[in-house]
Amino acid sequence: MNQFKLSLEYREKISYIFLVLLFFALLIGLFKLQIVEHAQLAKQSENNRIRVVTILPRRGIVTDRNGQTIIDNRPSYTVSIVYAEIVKGMTIENLSELISLDTTQIRKRIKRNMVSRYQPTPIKRDIPFEIVAILEEQYKKFPGVVYQMERVRQYNRLLGAETYTGYVGEVSEKELENIDSYELHLGSIVGKKGIEKKYDEILRGREGTKYIEITASGQLLGEYADKSKKPAEPGANITLSIDNDLQIVCTQALDTFCCGAIVAMDPRNGEILAMTSYPGYDANIFSSVIPESLWNEIRNDTTHPLLNRPLKGLYPPGSTVKFVGIGAGLEEGLITPNSKFKPCLGGYQLGNRFFRCWKPSGHGSLNAASTLEQSCDVYMYQLGLKLGIDKLSEYYRGCGFGIKTDVDLPQESFGLNPNTTYYDKRYGKRKWTIGLVLNNSIGQGELLVTPLQLARFFCGIANNGVVYKPHIVKKIKYYDQQEIIIKPEVAFTLPFSQSTMNVLYEGLTKVVQGEHGTAKRLKNKYYSVGGKTGTAENPHGENHSWFAAVAPLENPEIIVVAIVENAGHGSDVAAPLVGQIIRSYMSKKLEILTSTLESDTVKVVVSGDSL
Amino acid sequence: MTIKYASLDWKLILAAVFLTLIGIVMIMSAQHNASSEYQQNYYLRQLTWFAIAFFIFTIIIHIPPKLFDLLAYIIYGFSILLLILVLFVGTAKMGALRWFSFGPINFAPSDLAKIALLFALSRFLAYTKLPVASKRRMAISSFLVALPVMLILKQPDLGTSLVFLVMLFVLWFWSGLSPFYLLLIVSPIISLITATHWLSWSIYFVLLFILLITVKPGLLFGVVTVITNLALGAVMPFLWNGLATYQKLRILTFLDPGRDPRGAGYQIIQSKIAIGSGGFFGKGLLNGSQTRLDFLPEPHTDFIFSVLGEEFGLFGALIILFLFGFIFYRAIRIATHCRSKFSSLLVMGAAGIIMFQFIVNIGMTLGFMPVTGLPLPFVSYGGTSLVLFWSLIGFMVAAEARWQEY
Repeated sequence: MNQFKLSLEYREKISYIFLVLLFFALLIGLFKLQIVEHAQLAKQSENNRIRVVTILPRRGIVTDRNGQTIIDNRPSYTVSIVYAEIVKGMTIENLSELISLDTTQIRKRIKRNMVSRYQPTPIKRDIPFEIVAILEEQYKKFPGVVYQMERVRQYNRLLGAETYTGYVGEVSEKELENIDSYELHLGSIVGKKGIEKKYDEILRGREGTKYIEITASGQLLGEYADKSKKPAEPGANITLSIDNDLQIVCTQALDTFCCGAIVAMDPRNGEILAMTSYPGYDANIFSSVIPESLWNEIRNDTTHPLLNRPLKGLYPPGSTVKFVGIGAGLEEGLITPNSKFKPCLGGYQLGNRFFRCWKPSGHGSLNAASTLEQSCDVYMYQLGLKLGIDKLSEYYRGCGFGIKTDVDLPQESFGLNPNTTYYDKRYGKRKWTIGLVLNNSIGQGELLVTPLQLARFFCGIANNGVVYKPHIVKKIKYYDQQEIIIKPEVAFTLPFSQSTMNVLYEGLTKVVQGEHGTAKRLKNKYYSVGGKTGTAENPHGENHSWFAAVAPLENPEIIVVAIVENAGHGSDVAAPLVGQIIRSYMSKKLEILTSTLESDTVKVVVSGDSL
Repeated sequence: MTIKYASLDWKLILAAVFLTLIGIVMIMSAQHNASSEYQQNYYLRQLTWFAIAFFIFTIIIHIPPKLFDLLAYIIYGFSILLLILVLFVGTAKMGALRWFSFGPINFAPSDLAKIALLFALSRFLAYTKLPVASKRRMAISSFLVALPVMLILKQPDLGTSLVFLVMLFVLWFWSGLSPFYLLLIVSPIISLITATHWLSWSIYFVLLFILLITVKPGLLFGVVTVITNLALGAVMPFLWNGLATYQKLRILTFLDPGRDPRGAGYQIIQSKIAIGSGGFFGKGLLNGSQTRLDFLPEPHTDFIFSVLGEEFGLFGALIILFLFGFIFYRAIRIATHCRSKFSSLLVMGAAGIIMFQFIVNIGMTLGFMPVTGLPLPFVSYGGTSLVLFWSLIGFMVAAEARWQEY
């Protein structure tokens, strides 16, 4: 077996050859890393320690016409996770315990919101400072967890302004597809409703970036000076046409009722002065993750706090739209201002059906203006039959019913203005009776309006037929001080001649000022008010109570439309409620002390003997 | 017992001194930003250990290798006893039980076992009259290795066990066994690795047969080799399942470091980034961001070479390579040169230990090899290993100083 025995000389040679080969291999390895791959690995080394942090812009502030705050920002902390630095069985588990959000929820949020493995993914917003303190002290327990100071939206809850402020939330995947903006990414905050949504791009501003040096365990060492940062561009501030004082009055006026809506506008330019939907919700809860229980509570509330009543609530307008039928009759030459129909004896017989007037004892014979003053139904039935369904519907349309108001807020309903085509479709051809026109003529039946549509119509009545497009934004001020002032825009003119307008205005005046006016208790010696009551029959319960007011009559500058759901007659509930609002507005304007008014004017609650 | 200082291999000593000093500087840099003062002072502790190691070195060069020759088996037996003892009273560190703790000092008996085995093997192979490729010769020397290896695997420490096996092969080779023969012995391991794919395994078997035909080791040996190769290749999946999870993980992450960036693969990736980002001249002392910002794991022990690569670049790495190369060259020269067979094997075995740890450690930092936890000789932080390596240098210097003695 000695063929395996090697001489010493041979062994020495083999050893040297081995040594040379070994060092050659190591040299190749070193050369590969330090020369060939140097640039790439140097970059990786930079990426290792430099983290790109987005600087979130300050979202624009929203104020009322007098500069009072409606939407503000307040500082809060957001916890995020840097995916690349997660330590299995530690990061997510420890964080879950700290912020009491279960691990699957956290994983879901990482999966949904991650932009890059090396950038923080927001997990929970608006965490208390005590938790931030724990994260700071025990950062070793939370590898990959970072927190950021962020501004959270703060909504003035007292205003009850959710109907137009809306709220913000994290952008959804669906929204990302639809919104064409490279600046948005999952986890970004965008407006979800109201002004926040409509003017999102203006309010949002532009994100900036900065570079921060970190250690492997995620400890921040501060800003990295070698790379310049790009500052964020703050969002524009928006001034609304809203008057906060009036808004509060409106919201508080509904306090004692279940549900309702109020819209106050300036008929001279279409500015919305106040708008409230009752009951509302706290828009602040959307700033952080809403607990499931709270969300269910809001959603299952039978009073529908999330329903935006002024824009989306559909109600029969009741007598408030009697102006349209009378205007149409005058324009079509079917009646003159003084012509009369068969006297009202408390109802009207059509075929085998008896249509009641609201006043069982009857109104007797009335002219056009008095019909409005006393809100006689029998007069309207007879006029409606003369006009026919389609003519009446045409005039309703001319007055803006069944058409969007194009207000600068998202999500608005059309309302419903039925005509023969609609009835044919709904009931089948000729399967309905002419009796429907009787309902339509007094604002019942299928005719449905939103409070904002009705407010727009009354602006037209108050402004001699010229209807401005309702709008809520008055001024946009960009961060570079550039200003855009929104100019009023005429939407349309009511389809009535000057003489017709005069008759309608006379009727409007007499409702409050007239001897038999259904809202005569709003009459006072300090300022003149006109208006119209309305009682919308509600098949599901008590009637809805309407009132629309115009003031002052000599030169109208405010109209207020209110609906109180299931509250009874317009004159009983809505009229005094609107009276309060008008009084508050006018007293401030006339600088008369409210106390003086209190003793002189009518009592607010009156027993209902008239409409 | 006196030796002439002129007869000492000063250049060899100087190379080891340089390596140790570079190591101390790198340890200082690696722990410069550490959170505790204790860690920041690692380099001072290493400096103290260097003093101790150098003292032991000076003692060793005054002892004639003949004495180790005589006491070889006694020392071997003593170290086996310590290995058994550490299993019961040792301190666990990072999932492995391998230390004796005497207050602040941690002593790893596996380091002493390396020297003890080196003595025992050198003694046996130097005096045995058995032919180089005889079964008995191989069986006895294998048994000498197997005893400590089994004890160390129990701790468990894969890296140190491999050092022992490599030492056996180096000494077999230096006592005259053909490298081809060694290749046949390790062939079952190659069979294991190639068995991961049928094609690589087929090619390997063709090569194995060619090797067998050229070397002609005898019928019995040939048949046994082929059978073990076949058997190991076949049971490879079952063997795989027998490995501890951490061992599996290390092998897997070695094959694909990206599979678990926060596990063992994370260390390799960060090490490669550190060395690669160093470039030609490096980022400068204390300026390595990978080291300073904790991206590099165990920067003062396992990955000290990565710190050097980052802060001193290719230039610094070449200096280290040159110093090690010089030590190996010197060792081969001494082993060839000295007349005592025991001393010759002792020196070659010592060089083998240093070289294996050097290859595995640097290979690991460059991403060539799995993470085994073997420190870089002389440079990495660690008192007992510094003493061990300086002892090995001591044997080399002592052997050279008495090269004429038989």
